Amino acid sequence: MSDADRFSETDRSSDASDPVSVFPDAESMDLRPGADDCYKCSTCDSVCPVAAVDDDFPGPKFQGPEQWRLERHDDREIDPSVSACSNCMRCDDACPSEVPLSQMHNTARAAYVEGNVPRLSRTYLRNRLLSNYGRLAWLGSKLPRLTNFVMGLSVTGWINEHVLGITSEREFPTFATETFRAWWRRRGGAQVENANKRVAYFHGDYANYNTPAVAKALVRVYEHFGYEVVVPPQRCSGTPMFANGMLGDARRAARFNVETLADLVADGCAVICSCTSCSMALRQEYPELFDFERTELVAANTYDALEYLRINEDLESALEGTETDAFAGLAYHAPCHARNQGLDGQALEVLESVEGVDAEDVGDSCSGISGTYGWKRERYETSMAIGEEMFRHMARADADAGLTECPTCAMQMHHGTGYEIHHPLEVLEAALSTPDGR
Amino acid sequence: MERSTTDVLVLGGGSTGCGIARDLALRGLEVTLVERGNLTHGTTGRMHGLLHSGGRYAVSDRASARECIAENRILREIAGHCVEQTGGLFVKRPEDPDDYFEQKLRGCRDCGIPAEVLSGTEARALEPYLAPDVERAIRVPDGAVDPFRLCVANAMDAEAHGARIETHAEVVDLLREGEEVTGVRVRHDSGPGKRTHLRPGTTEEITADYVVNATGAWAGNVAALADLEVAVRPSKGVMTIMNVRQVDTVINRCRPKGDADIIVPHETTAILGTTDEEVSDPDDYPEERWEVDLVIDQLAELVPILREARTIRSFWGVRPLYEPPGTATVDPTDITRDFFLLDHAERDGVTGIASIVGGKFTTYRAMAEEIADHVCAALGVSARCETAERPLPGSENLESVLERMDAFGLRSPIARRSADRLGSRAPDVLECDGPNPVLCDCEGVTRAEVRDAIAASGTDLNAVRIRTRASMGNCQGGFCCRELAQELHPDHGHEVTMAALADLFTERWKGQRHALWGEQLSQAMLTYALHAATLNRDRADDGPLEFGTFDAGPDRGGETGVPVADGGPEGSGPHGRERTRGGRGGD
Ligand SMILES: Cc1cc2nc3c(=O)[nH]c(=O)nc-3n(C[C@H](O)[C@H](O)[C@H](O)COP(=O)(O)OP(=O)(O)OC[C@H]3O[C@@H](n4cnc5c(N)ncnc54)[C@H](O)[C@@H]3O)c2cc1C
Repeated sequence: MSDADRFSETDRSSDASDPVSVFPDAESMDLRPGADDCYKCSTCDSVCPVAAVDDDFPGPKFQGPEQWRLERHDDREIDPSVSACSNCMRCDDACPSEVPLSQMHNTARAAYVEGNVPRLSRTYLRNRLLSNYGRLAWLGSKLPRLTNFVMGLSVTGWINEHVLGITSEREFPTFATETFRAWWRRRGGAQVENANKRVAYFHGDYANYNTPAVAKALVRVYEHFGYEVVVPPQRCSGTPMFANGMLGDARRAARFNVETLADLVADGCAVICSCTSCSMALRQEYPELFDFERTELVAANTYDALEYLRINEDLESALEGTETDAFAGLAYHAPCHARNQGLDGQALEVLESVEGVDAEDVGDSCSGISGTYGWKRERYETSMAIGEEMFRHMARADADAGLTECPTCAMQMHHGTGYEIHHPLEVLEAALSTPDGR
Repeated sequence: MERSTTDVLVLGGGSTGCGIARDLALRGLEVTLVERGNLTHGTTGRMHGLLHSGGRYAVSDRASARECIAENRILREIAGHCVEQTGGLFVKRPEDPDDYFEQKLRGCRDCGIPAEVLSGTEARALEPYLAPDVERAIRVPDGAVDPFRLCVANAMDAEAHGARIETHAEVVDLLREGEEVTGVRVRHDSGPGKRTHLRPGTTEEITADYVVNATGAWAGNVAALADLEVAVRPSKGVMTIMNVRQVDTVINRCRPKGDADIIVPHETTAILGTTDEEVSDPDDYPEERWEVDLVIDQLAELVPILREARTIRSFWGVRPLYEPPGTATVDPTDITRDFFLLDHAERDGVTGIASIVGGKFTTYRAMAEEIADHVCAALGVSARCETAERPLPGSENLESVLERMDAFGLRSPIARRSADRLGSRAPDVLECDGPNPVLCDCEGVTRAEVRDAIAASGTDLNAVRIRTRASMGNCQGGFCCRELAQELHPDHGHEVTMAALADLFTERWKGQRHALWGEQLSQAMLTYALHAATLNRDRADDGPLEFGTFDAGPDRGGETGVPVADGGPEGSGPHGRERTRGGRGGD
């Protein structure tokens, strides 16, 4: 049983005439019972990519159970080192005792930001800006060419670096000239109607504003299999907000998403995501951090897009005999958040059946960017040091392009190798559109 | 044989002995205290840690209740760094008697104990894990006290005022000349002064103008060395330590009498207790599993989450109960908790000695004051007692300690814990050249603090433990015992270091045995493997290890029960089931 339901159960079992909201929100959530499951084996520390390259980072065991156990009742002081955690969530996956490490990190980070980062500080503004990328992107997408031009200027880089603390080492992602949602409207929405096979697509901000090709690929692949795709209104999944301790922002976004998606789920839709951090947020972080009605319902019905197809379709037969020459050698990196959902093997297994695609797994290292983490000036070096292993393995692979599910891992892969990076759905789309694709 | 002489000789280094030594030293007397183990080796180191508000005695024993609240107030002032002002609740479940609740409330008010009634909802707002059917509660100023820190601070202050404190010095004989006790013969485990493992022992005769026998449950044994009779009725009680604090307030059950009715939040942990069972020998009594089961089961009625929580160890203590000859109470829970000063001159016609028995930790200072008054009277000294006003070392000007912690570059929870433990001594202790890594992760203890403790206690790592809390946390020393022992080097060589390590580790293991069932049992393998792989501590002298007992294996898990090391497969009882990762499961 996760702690989230442990709490809600306590909640429910209390006398109806005597309502006590045990822990009304994540900021005041008591995670000592979760800390209790830790027996100090330190496996989490051994898989932490940040601890591996940064000797000053005390590691997930300290950030999580140790800090919670040491904390005093009246203490709200959280050690600043929590902001050096990249929220890759590998520790969650590694823990043999099901300690809710990332939940602890997320709440600790929120408490830290709440208590220690002044509202007008540069760090706060920068982090708020980064974590509300969707809003920024919305603006950018209104004038994509101008924005891309401005973002590419060296003076913008200087301002970012020196005023905002956003590293100028990285190129800003370019905004698509047409967002996915604009395309969807122009196209007239779903081309397939099927009351028995409906999915709600949670595309997230990045696929909408920056890589609509991935979102379009998803639509085409799903329509190929006879699904009716619904594209509901949605807000950012919250991933960057968790990672920056902006739990208030995350809460608002999550509430909106849960409410819209829950209606669709009740209507028989499964929720599918093309970004593994989005699916992670909906499936794990929402239930761990929020207690809106139907959070669990949405979580239980959310899938990664490829995962859902594998469960419900005979992908192997469908791909038999398909071929594409658009992607020759691909160096595949499994994002940490895919790994945590047990999805790290699936892309390669699926693409095995496609003729002409030769994808190679570059190992289980972390890319190091972890969403907004690698964009911060003070984290850039750490981010690149973590990514080093992946870059090396990508260079050694027999490949000249990369493959991954996560948009920010893709940024890092591109940044470190110069390769063009693709999404498995794009490959699938290409394969299925060959004459032989059934 | 060495010989020495002193004004007053105090036997026993528990709260009573340390309190008396400090009081007399402050009054200007020359004091020597001898203790057979380290400080708090006896009952004081094996108690519940409740700083009574007096609420517990408000119905049955109002004199004790009044004394408790008075001393509670004094200790908050003079021993601030040993006390956590948690507050306490007497909680009433539906089956607990209403009229007792009212009596308790009236009793508290009559004794001057601030008491406030809370509804069930209010009580749960304060302590969210209280059972949903708790109906009402009385809030009182109970607190949590660290007996180790308090005794050490008393001893430290006594030393600062000229006292000689000898630990690992067992009284093997009382020197009696006719109708007068003139001193003792002690055996120093490793010679006088600070302990050094493997150093040969010595004996010493210490003569004194007055001898105070403050050996608690052992007072009868010690008195017998001078053919005096003190009929202590030792009574054991079990306490079980939870890995985390499920409550931040002391929780008492509000019913007339009962075992296992208090939870004390203590440092990083919560301690459940206790029971009351007369034993014949305070050094040799059974530690039984049913006792641990009982406290968990009973207290889970108040705080249900306890059933699923991880325990880190259990320990037993023996109360030095005493009744004047002829009282003959049957049930030990009915024996008074008051203390007795037995003046052997008056009682047995033997001068130069008094024995102290009974009492409570909470009132140790008042007891010490009364005894010190008696000693001064016997020696014809007139000197005022200062212990009610004078803060203990570490408790002076506590307000500013936290503010000064930034200078030491510690991570915030570590700084906070260090400040809590060291109090006003923190800046002196933590100021050091070079890096100051954390040696005990679970309790946040740094090397500087460990070194300070070693300076005071030699190679006795158990004495370091009680001063710092290092190895008292989640892993129970699995990770940090080695780090602590490491600090003895290079002042001490390999053999001494290994002997000190073995002592500490053996002590840690003693209490852990009672916490290993289900998944925790297999998790214990980690510590074993760690010590085997990094220290070769698996050189088995007693046959190969039975690995099977650590884990039932995949076929044996599930609902049906997991064999436990000492009990074999069990089909019933909490041990047989495991529900959560750390917890013991239960029904
Ligand atoms: C289970 C339990 C729970 C308790 N909980 C609480 C509580 O929550 N609050 C509270 O106020 N009180 C509590 N008490 C009571 C309290 O712990 C005791 O009253 C108090 O600690 C007694 O201290 P002491 O110094 O008299 O005895 P001890 O601490 O036993 O000191 C006697 C010392 O004499 C030493 N000694 C024995 N023989 C020799 C010898 N031959 N030579 C040299 N030294 C020797 C022993 O090693 C020992 O250290 C509890 C008691 C028990 C048993």
